[in-house]
Amino acid sequence: MRHVGTVAGREIRSLFVSPVAYVVLTLWAVLAGFFFLSNLIAFQTELVRMQQFGAFDMVRTVNLNDHLIMPFMGSMWIILIFAIPGVTMGLFASEKANGTQELLLTSPLTIWEIVLGKFLAGAVFVLLMTAVVAFFPGILFVYGDPELGKTLSGLLGLLLVSLTYVAVGAFASSVTSNQLIAFFLAFGVLLLFLMMPFIAELGATRGALGQEATAADLMRWLSTGSHFEQLLRGLVDTADLGYFAFVIGTFILLSKAAIESVRWR
Amino acid sequence: MSGDAPAIEASGLTKRYGEVLAVDDFTFSVGRGEVVGFLGPNGAGKTTTMRMLTGFVPPTDGTATIAGHDIFADPLAARRAVGYLPESPPLYPEMSVEGYLRYVATIKDVPRRVRREAVDRSLERCGLVEVRRRVIGALSKGFRQRVGLAQAIVHDPPVLILDEPTVGLDPIQIQEIRSLMADFAAPGEGETPRAVILSTHILPEVEAICRRVILIHQGRKVIDQPLSELIAGGQSLEEVFGRETSRDISAGAEGAMENAP
Ligand SMILES: Nc1ncnc2c1ncn2[C@@H]1O[C@H](COP(=O)(O)OP(=O)(O)OP(=O)(O)O)[C@@H](O)[C@H]1O
Ligand SMILES: [Mg+2]
Repeated sequence: MRHVGTVAGREIRSLFVSPVAYVVLTLWAVLAGFFFLSNLIAFQTELVRMQQFGAFDMVRTVNLNDHLIMPFMGSMWIILIFAIPGVTMGLFASEKANGTQELLLTSPLTIWEIVLGKFLAGAVFVLLMTAVVAFFPGILFVYGDPELGKTLSGLLGLLLVSLTYVAVGAFASSVTSNQLIAFFLAFGVLLLFLMMPFIAELGATRGALGQEATAADLMRWLSTGSHFEQLLRGLVDTADLGYFAFVIGTFILLSKAAIESVRWR
Repeated sequence: MSGDAPAIEASGLTKRYGEVLAVDDFTFSVGRGEVVGFLGPNGAGKTTTMRMLTGFVPPTDGTATIAGHDIFADPLAARRAVGYLPESPPLYPEMSVEGYLRYVATIKDVPRRVRREAVDRSLERCGLVEVRRRVIGALSKGFRQRVGLAQAIVHDPPVLILDEPTVGLDPIQIQEIRSLMADFAAPGEGETPRAVILSTHILPEVEAICRRVILIHQGRKVIDQPLSELIAGGQSLEEVFGRETSRDISAGAEGAMENAP
């Protein structure tokens, strides 16, 4: 396992000499600023309106975490669905296109070192993205008093969602040598994950999923949203952490199988 | 003891791609100090054989040992013992020549304290010292080929496998690469001799550096002889090549002939 870092290090350096990393990071930072500001303005408008109507009881219940930080991080979540496939599309696909896969697979590296190295590179990148997001609630700590625990648990949620998406994106990149296909495949899978609760709802009301709602329940459980929401609310539950570990582990295993299958074709 | 084992020992190597029998029951061995030329028409199975030896694709049947390490039983040790230049050099266009070679040295398990030395030596041997800081993507085709070669020798492996190594090189560079291969196989006093296999379509190249020729045709070994014996009767390598590869020896063809009236 000692070459996981070697593989990851090369990948990160390549990511940062390509325009992709900068485009994604810049857009991410700009959008974060935009959504933070718009949520801040909405928050203020709401406060002013409540005061005008003399709803002082409600004003007391309004807080920075639930009414500003949560919706802000919720917006950033949606952008991840576009941003992460852009970061991960080249992880394996470019090795195949360059012919460097032949170098990797004929070197004394294990498949685990290759796959985990690639995942680690993606993980470092999304850690950077999460740090960019963390900057904005950080400002609030200077001027107000949001709850630290809730804010940190929300950031943890965003990071876990990002890592899950990296695992999905890595898998998409492992089954093709075309980066564009890898991008849209990852995007499609993530969109499906996003829509899972709606599909479940549709199925449940139409009765299409049968009397027992097990299929609908399973779909709801599989969707990232509900687990992320728990963390946004400040509820760090092992069941939700387990969900992320499960999905990340599954897609890493699938990537490993895809890379290994090159050998067995 | 792996030090005494032949550099390459392949027995019954077979590779099937669906219906295509790319390599068929290929047995041969290469000793240390030998430079062996793989000859054969397009699609003969040269690349596929090299890919099996280097661990890129597993044989459908048969096995091989590299410097005494079985490619199935001890794949990491077998791969560590090989330097491999694939048909298209495996390069990262965005990396610098030096950075790339340092990376390859690392994943080939060259110890950290001698890595720098190893990179410098292969830069020097392949005539890359002047371009060491250049980005690979900005190099000419010939220079990229040299980087591919430098990558294959950076960890000083006992076995070197080169798939059409002189493609795209200028005549002077071809000379240098040829002498590099010869030096590599039979170095000076005190150094252990190594084995080199190269595939090529350039017959004079074989005559220039290979002591032994293995001719592959339709996935099978049809000739495995020292070059001196092969051209002893005054016949040229071209004549031998033409004669041996004009026959259809595939399994299907044999069956067809037997059934013919
Ligand atoms: N990945 C693959 N999938 C299916 N068939 C393959 C694959 N790789 C090689 N083949 C087939 O195996 C046979 C041998 O190919 P190989 O590349 O080993 O030939 P070669 O001797 O290297 O030829 P060339 O001189 O053109 O490089 C060919 O018929 C080829 O079509
Ligand atoms: Mg070939």
